[in-house]
Amino acid sequence: MNITTNKQRLSLSHAPAVWIAGIVPWLLLIASMWIVATNARNPQYLWTVFAPWAEVGCLAVVMTPIIITGGIDLSVGSIVAVSGMTLGVLWHHAEWPIWMSAVATIAVGTLAGSLNGCLVVLGMSPLVATLATMAFFRGLSMAVSNAQQVDRFPEPFLDMAQLGGIPIQFWLLFVTIVLCFIIVHFSRFGRWCFAIGDNRTASRFAAVPVRRVEWLLYSASGLVCALVAISNAMKQDVVLPDAQSGVELSAIACVVIGGTLITGGRGGVLQTSAWQLFRTWTLV
Amino acid sequence: MSRSQSVNSLYRAMIGPVVTEPPVCVLRLVDITKTFPGVVAADSVSFDLRTGEVHALVGENGAGKSTLINIISGVLQPDAGRMLLHESAVRLSNPVEARNHGIVTVHQEAELFPTLSIAENMGLALGLPTGRFGLVDWKTVRNSSQATVDQTGEPIDVNTPADQLGVARRHMIQVAAAVTQKSRIVILDEPTSALSAAESDWLFSQIERLKTAGAGIIYISHRQDEIFRLADRITVLRDGKGVWTGAKSEIDGDRLIKWMVGRDQPAATITKTGVTNQPVGKSVTAERIETCGRPVSDKPRLQITGIADADGRVRNVTLGVAAGEVLGVYGLVGAGRTELAHCVFGLKRIIAGHVEIDGQQQMIRSPKDAVRAGIAYLPEDRLRQGICRGLSVRANCVLASLQRRTREVLAFAAPERTAANDVVRRLDIRLASIEQAVGGLSGGNQQKVVLGRWLLNEPKVLILDEPTRGVDVGSKLEIHRLLRSLADDGCAVLMISSELPEIMQHSDRIIVFCEGSVSGEYDPRQVSSADIAGAALPTAVPDLPKVSSSGATTSSVRAPDLKPDGSRRGSGRFGGEAGLGIVTLFLWLLLAAGSAGSSDILSGLTNLATYAPLWALLGLAAGCVIIAGGIDISIGSLVALSAVCCGRVLQIDAPDVIRIPLAVGIGILAGTAGGMINAAISLVGRVHPIVVTLGTMTVYRGLVIFMLGGRSLTGLPSNFTRIAVDPDTGFRGILVTSVIVLCIAAVWLQCTQSGRHLYAYGSSPAASRLAGVSQTRVWLTAFAAGGALAGLAGVLELSLNTQMQARLGAGWELQAIAIAVIGGVAITGGRGSVSGVVLAAILLRLVNSALVRWGVSGPKVDLVVGTLLLAAVLLDLVWRQRRQ
Repeated sequence: MNITTNKQRLSLSHAPAVWIAGIVPWLLLIASMWIVATNARNPQYLWTVFAPWAEVGCLAVVMTPIIITGGIDLSVGSIVAVSGMTLGVLWHHAEWPIWMSAVATIAVGTLAGSLNGCLVVLGMSPLVATLATMAFFRGLSMAVSNAQQVDRFPEPFLDMAQLGGIPIQFWLLFVTIVLCFIIVHFSRFGRWCFAIGDNRTASRFAAVPVRRVEWLLYSASGLVCALVAISNAMKQDVVLPDAQSGVELSAIACVVIGGTLITGGRGGVLQTSAWQLFRTWTLV
Repeated sequence: MSRSQSVNSLYRAMIGPVVTEPPVCVLRLVDITKTFPGVVAADSVSFDLRTGEVHALVGENGAGKSTLINIISGVLQPDAGRMLLHESAVRLSNPVEARNHGIVTVHQEAELFPTLSIAENMGLALGLPTGRFGLVDWKTVRNSSQATVDQTGEPIDVNTPADQLGVARRHMIQVAAAVTQKSRIVILDEPTSALSAAESDWLFSQIERLKTAGAGIIYISHRQDEIFRLADRITVLRDGKGVWTGAKSEIDGDRLIKWMVGRDQPAATITKTGVTNQPVGKSVTAERIETCGRPVSDKPRLQITGIADADGRVRNVTLGVAAGEVLGVYGLVGAGRTELAHCVFGLKRIIAGHVEIDGQQQMIRSPKDAVRAGIAYLPEDRLRQGICRGLSVRANCVLASLQRRTREVLAFAAPERTAANDVVRRLDIRLASIEQAVGGLSGGNQQKVVLGRWLLNEPKVLILDEPTRGVDVGSKLEIHRLLRSLADDGCAVLMISSELPEIMQHSDRIIVFCEGSVSGEYDPRQVSSADIAGAALPTAVPDLPKVSSSGATTSSVRAPDLKPDGSRRGSGRFGGEAGLGIVTLFLWLLLAAGSAGSSDILSGLTNLATYAPLWALLGLAAGCVIIAGGIDISIGSLVALSAVCCGRVLQIDAPDVIRIPLAVGIGILAGTAGGMINAAISLVGRVHPIVVTLGTMTVYRGLVIFMLGGRSLTGLPSNFTRIAVDPDTGFRGILVTSVIVLCIAAVWLQCTQSGRHLYAYGSSPAASRLAGVSQTRVWLTAFAAGGALAGLAGVLELSLNTQMQARLGAGWELQAIAIAVIGGVAITGGRGSVSGVVLAAILLRLVNSALVRWGVSGPKVDLVVGTLLLAAVLLDLVWRQRRQ
């Protein structure tokens, strides 16, 4: 292979066509947004409409590496709900300071994710494991809150909903996309994800720490779920025990229609993000 | 002639008298051409096979042998050329037609249906025989397959699921199934690659028997001793062309190799060898002695002391390998050599002993630790354990060295490319680009990629497990050269091989393994291969079986670890369902005990009789599709769709006698059609069913909302709402209908060809392709059945509720899947039963009513149900792990 092709492909690990396909919808989206819809010229309106989709986007982006390893996480919606209720119950009923409740919420979300991770690592099919935990976490969320919503969070907490005029969800989405993109495409962890998705046994034989990778992925998914729950509470000033039910299927749809192979081994974070935005656009 | 008739006649033919005929041409291929994108796999190949002869097909990997036999066995269709059977032209469009013409094939990779019993595996390979009403005749299947297995002398119960057998036995079963029947053409592709010497001898005797019975045999092997021992004629293929055909007597080993590789090979590198007779090639011997003469350091680089594993496959093994030494490890298949390698590489836990490298004791608990200690391991099963088929050569090459290369976590393509190019150059891997998927390379080149992966780590110790199995002559040579040069660079090489010539020629020292421990150590210059083969046999057996003895002694020759106990099967088959049944019964008794009198029990039962059937139908709807290896998440929407279709028809102005049956029919039809659309999109678009049904779930729901027009559906005729539960008589149509439907479904799944094909495809798509089970038919059937069951559930639910909203059935898909899973349907397909699903549905309903009874408030019910589901899957996990 000569030097020119090396240079051309220096930063691209896939065929350029895939990347163009990933970028074009973004550009088209922004362009058509300003041309067609009058509503779309009002940023405040846009932020409001897009906010729930930014949350789905976060879940979809963090789901992408999981699906690349051949796994799936059906419990994301339930983890969002159970973390949200942790926040509400700790603050409202246990009267913890709101920031401590938030930290505890993050811990609970991560813990829930790592429970998924443990089940998968123990050799359970991810579909079955997360199907079970989906029901379990949803039930937990219902039980701890007694099916009651919690609202009227304190002012300083709600003030965090907007950072620099942009809702917190979008900051979260942005950070998730950038981090996941780097991790999936430019780190050894990402390389391992692809290898596990293609052939789990062969990866184990090639000294890939399969279990650690999988456990970390599901835990990360739980962490993002908790963050989504907190940002949602900031924005809406309410946490619901049946929040985000059915969101897992939307998130998976974004990942898969975005071009990630459901059986693993192939895919990309940007494709997921692009498809996510495209879908949001059709709803404006 | 119908298919079942012809299959039956085949069965009869198996036990019919042997007729000896004068040799005639049974199969003739004329100018067969087959092109794949970018490759001409067969280039106007002509070939003929006579009755009563063994015609060997030889060539390097990628020469077109597999393509040719796939054409003969109907898996592939030629682009051009003719195929004649008994001088009449035929066109085989699938493996079933080939089978009906008496063509039986044993493919190289042992493709079995892992979740199905051995009897069924063998039955599917021949086409299941059917008896009355088109139901599968299980008795014939079991008896004939048990008879076949008994002939091999292996103590195997044919009711054992195939996944409980080791690789070697699985292969043996396939070979046995093919050779013990009276077929006209038998194709054997590398049949001995996983067999022991004794089993091979049994196979050869069977081939002789087939020959005298007048069958034509096409024999493919990389082992020359076998070819010269068995073949009457030989055809050499090279680059898709037939380059030489003639009688065995017209050619010798060296000339054969020349024809195969098409370039001059040093004659002595490949020698005509066998277990009983092998003149060792001169130049190789000379080269080896030269390198052996080099003084190696006294201190072993790798020292293994007293290693043993938990299940007794490796017992107290002590050995050392010096730097620069190649230690050959010989033994029977299953003697514990691979397990030893796994212990050293951290893939298997050791319970005693330790590993030292350069005198330093190493704690190796995972492959990662092993890599850190400087150990590399080339696994025996390249496809399963070696390569990541879909990933690029680059990604495969750097996989093992990522930890070492990217200390600062981030990984970039450029240095990886340099490393991969380095590997490609060093090992002379032939490829188009390093970004090419590894799956597209030939076997030899794939093996080099896996080997190259480890070279990047600059290992101190290299363990190779069957390094040249299924590798073509050219690559074999290069791999052997590379081994030697690595050893010369100071690497300690441990080479596990079942090929005696390889061991004899390429090791400095030989260790023989028997029943998990070292049974002898030899110098290859001073020992005959017969001695080594003898040392590999267990000495505990009083009358030491000779290598040349026939198959009856095979079982005693085998290492003990490969004896699966067929009787364990009994508990495995119904274990899960019995457990589920006991739990259900226990819960019901608990409920009954806690209830206030018999009327209370009765009301509980009627409640159960109303709702459990509905959920059983839904669970089975999900189960059918999952058994066939698919998944349908649109079930909830399908329920709503069929309910709304049914309801709309009920609103037309017509007498009840007409509109009610019509409405029910249309409702079920809507569900069926929805299911078939799912399958069709998935098949045509080659999209995974999860993706398809995720989409159609939304589409169907949209359709429901559109048809309801924003209102709920009410005002149904009272005669319709009576169907589910008649308020006057208390007659529960929902129960009766469901029981009938579930019984039909159970018979269909258990005892019909199309039902069994669902299991077969779900169990192994690859094996199904070779057995002629078509994915299109299976998935259309499975999704249609699932849709029909969901449709029926929708109609019954409408009748039960007397009205419906647009959200009907939302989220039911996951509950349905949950019932299927709790009921024992394997989520990966190929396993499951109607009775399990029914039990699971009853159990879930019981839990629900128990919670209501014990005053558990609404929100807590969800938690209990969730916990139950979690407990069920955990229990299933524990169960499965204990069985293994």
